[in-house]
Amino acid sequence: MQDRPSYLLVWLTFLRNSLVRDLSFRSNFWVECIASMSWVAMNLGFYLLIFSFTNSIGEGTGWGKFEFFVFLATTLFINSLVQTFFMPNIQEFSDLIRTGRLDFALLKPIDTQFLVSFEKVNWPSMANFFFGIVLLSVSVYNLSYRSENPLVLTPWMVIGYPLFVLCGVAILYSLMIVLAASSIWLGRNQSLYDFWFYITSFSRYPMEIYRGPVGHTLQLIFTFAIPILIVVNVPARILARPLGIDQGAATQLAIFALFATAFSLLGSRWLFVKALKSYRSASS
Amino acid sequence: MKASFGTTPCCANDPTAAIIEAMEPIIQLKKLTKTYEVYQKQEGLLASVRGLWHREYKQVEAVRGIDLEVQQGEFVAFLGPNGAGKTTTLKLLSGVINPTSGTASVMGHVPWKRANAYRRKFALVMGQKNQLWWDLPAQDSFRLHQKIYRIDPAQFDRTKDELTELLGVRELLGQPVRNLSLGERMKMELIAALLHSPDVLFLDEPTIGLDVIAQHNIQKFLKRYQEQRKITVLLTSHYMKDIAALCQRVVVIAHGIVIYDGSLDGIVTRFGGYKVVSLLFADDRMPSDLARFGEILHWEPPKVKLRVERADVGKALSALLDKYEVADVSVEDPPLEQVIAEVFSLAPPESSDQKAPQHAVQGV
Amino acid sequence: MSSQTAEHEVSPPISDWSARVATWWAIFQINFHEKLVYRGDFMLGTLMRFLPIVTQVFLWSAVFGARAAQEGDAAGETEIVGYSYHNIVAYYLLSTISRAFSSMPGLASGIALQIREGEIKKYLVQPLDLISFFLLNRMAHKVTYYIMAIIPFVIVFYLCRGFFDGWPPPEIILAFIASLIMAFMIGFFMEASIGMIGFWFLEVRSLLFVYMLFSFFLSGHMFPLDMLTALPGPWGLIVKSLPLMYLAYFPAAVFLGKIEGWELVIGLLVQLAWVVAFMVICRLAFHYGVKRYSGYGG
Repeated sequence: MQDRPSYLLVWLTFLRNSLVRDLSFRSNFWVECIASMSWVAMNLGFYLLIFSFTNSIGEGTGWGKFEFFVFLATTLFINSLVQTFFMPNIQEFSDLIRTGRLDFALLKPIDTQFLVSFEKVNWPSMANFFFGIVLLSVSVYNLSYRSENPLVLTPWMVIGYPLFVLCGVAILYSLMIVLAASSIWLGRNQSLYDFWFYITSFSRYPMEIYRGPVGHTLQLIFTFAIPILIVVNVPARILARPLGIDQGAATQLAIFALFATAFSLLGSRWLFVKALKSYRSASS
Repeated sequence: MKASFGTTPCCANDPTAAIIEAMEPIIQLKKLTKTYEVYQKQEGLLASVRGLWHREYKQVEAVRGIDLEVQQGEFVAFLGPNGAGKTTTLKLLSGVINPTSGTASVMGHVPWKRANAYRRKFALVMGQKNQLWWDLPAQDSFRLHQKIYRIDPAQFDRTKDELTELLGVRELLGQPVRNLSLGERMKMELIAALLHSPDVLFLDEPTIGLDVIAQHNIQKFLKRYQEQRKITVLLTSHYMKDIAALCQRVVVIAHGIVIYDGSLDGIVTRFGGYKVVSLLFADDRMPSDLARFGEILHWEPPKVKLRVERADVGKALSALLDKYEVADVSVEDPPLEQVIAEVFSLAPPESSDQKAPQHAVQGV
Repeated sequence: MSSQTAEHEVSPPISDWSARVATWWAIFQINFHEKLVYRGDFMLGTLMRFLPIVTQVFLWSAVFGARAAQEGDAAGETEIVGYSYHNIVAYYLLSTISRAFSSMPGLASGIALQIREGEIKKYLVQPLDLISFFLLNRMAHKVTYYIMAIIPFVIVFYLCRGFFDGWPPPEIILAFIASLIMAFMIGFFMEASIGMIGFWFLEVRSLLFVYMLFSFFLSGHMFPLDMLTALPGPWGLIVKSLPLMYLAYFPAAVFLGKIEGWELVIGLLVQLAWVVAFMVICRLAFHYGVKRYSGYGG
């Protein structure tokens, strides 16, 4: 008998069990789908409003309406993947610590980080993924068929885009693991959870908007210290090709994103294992 | 303590006893300690404000040095008041927490290294926590266990059928766990824990909160299962009935150390330093100075119950029988619950190399 | 009713009042303690609440920059629906104050949950007025919040003082404070009324979500509502006929001097009317809700 479980089979069971649970609350399932989609629709309305006052976000950046909607669709892909697969777990994690149910995770002959970060899947959050597909298709269509500078898709764009979307998901996942690790040390920590939302809000706009001394400091911090900015920017730039951005610098950033992804995954793993050592288990 | 363990009659009638005695113990703890830091919250508004800048921590020694050896196939009970360190010891043994000092080995593994090979071979059941998915039928959680423990599908089906049959929960498998009663849920938890056929089982208050019938069912099941499989079980419980029904060996833990290790009845011999003497006087002539023989527990002329130091029983009886007409007399050990309650209320014992802890308040 | 009992109702005996004050004090203390336990959390959380504004500020800076280039304006002179770049930043900062007064996290869902779980019965048998109890609780909660949050707020506003054109005149400040207090009242009574829909429908979640969605978009939390009212179509009418704008937009716009003179007076009166309306709605909803509830026999 082998020591290690088959992680793929276990993960498929997670997917299946979560789907069974989600479908047993059917009306809730649809409400959640519609809710998150209307939320995005409202945001889209806000950006349409902005583009009624200007033709690009930032002077000379090239983030026009449809370029920005490619960016927005990328945000939707990454966020919906994170919210489907990781968010429910991280939300439950501080609960696991508080009630001491993390004990059970530690008992299982399976990697603890894998178990606590993949177990729950929130299927309704995938609704926005489909919203993203529609938005991306419309935007790319518009970019490709405009009269000046039509967008031409290359194989590199088609391969690179999903690859870097996944890198973005991995970076956000690592950040969540860091937060989870810190909640082992600090106990219940609601603001850590809020922290997640506030920090990730920086990733929602093209990084070119962060200008001036403060803006540049933010760019540096959120590129190199907490690599939030590259999460959406790198894949979105690959597909939208905004004109104002130097392609050489963009390529450098993409290469950096690969290293940042690897480093975040390893670093967060290291921190998590270290934090588990100081887990003290809630009194029964 | 060690001496009393040596004479534990748990395996005396077992023909394999000699072999088992010769084997390495399956569980071995040496000088195991665990100290927690606990934040002391102050009462009152001002004190809370002061807490903004300054926090006081207190060291709580939940386990102060436990030595223990358990042989394969034993069913051992941990007995002790709340906060004595029973649950902490179980958590250390299952590798959930790391010890402050000391060593432990279970089936040759160091528990807190959490090797997969170790984690496949034991299970922990906690009466106050549940691990099954709340909104799903238990069978879905079982299937997840099968994948995680990599149980062979045929083997899994066999074990599951057998366990559900034994516990009589076959028709409940398809119901969401949240709709089950507490007792039914506990049975499902037990099945989940036993699906991978562990060699060592840790049970932390498995019958807590259950009604008498459910308690009895769980006891019956555990007894039968342990006898069939000859697995090693460590159990903590507050219910003396659980312990009396299941365990040949009792380890009493108080204030983080082992203060007794032996049979359940042995507790009375060791800690009940007195006997209960019941007297029925034949005529109305009753002595008025009975208190000099010992504390009067019950007074209902012509019947009386006395608590007499064991060494003085002979003297007292001969004096009484000599002077008075006694119709009936009996000398009994004090009731077990009584003795155990007294043991628990003892002051924290000073151990030779350690300062006595502040109260072991940690509710573990 | 005799005049004596009437008088008795107008001025309750002192012991009654002191008992009430003691109750309020106890409620306040409980809230304060609860906050203090997680005080580090709390301060950090309040500071971080300004983080999304930072991104909004940069977003608008980029938008104004692009618009200036597009229209050929001199830097700093571009306006969008009468708001300069500085105005927009000031608006976002001020709207966090409005929100600090008007947002009622967990109020509606809490009431609905208590109704559903039958916990509301616990209150019904106690000699207290449930709505007042919830209101007091919420006030204590808010006051505690302001005490703890004042430091982060002062820091942020001091750092951003350059975006404001000095203090507005005293009468505007008074109007601002009045609108904030009324924003709190509207927020409370509106959310409480929504929660009480739970007496009739068990599942209030989806309804609450619709409310949240509209409130986010139409209260002015996301952008100054002038941008919507300037659009052609029914937007102006929709914004003006809903009470939502008083939750975030109105106080901020008052402070910035966007609403002046008679417009301001009328605005404040309409806001007051909404307060009264929701107080009545809340009372009625509670009255008939409890009736229906006890009709079921719980």
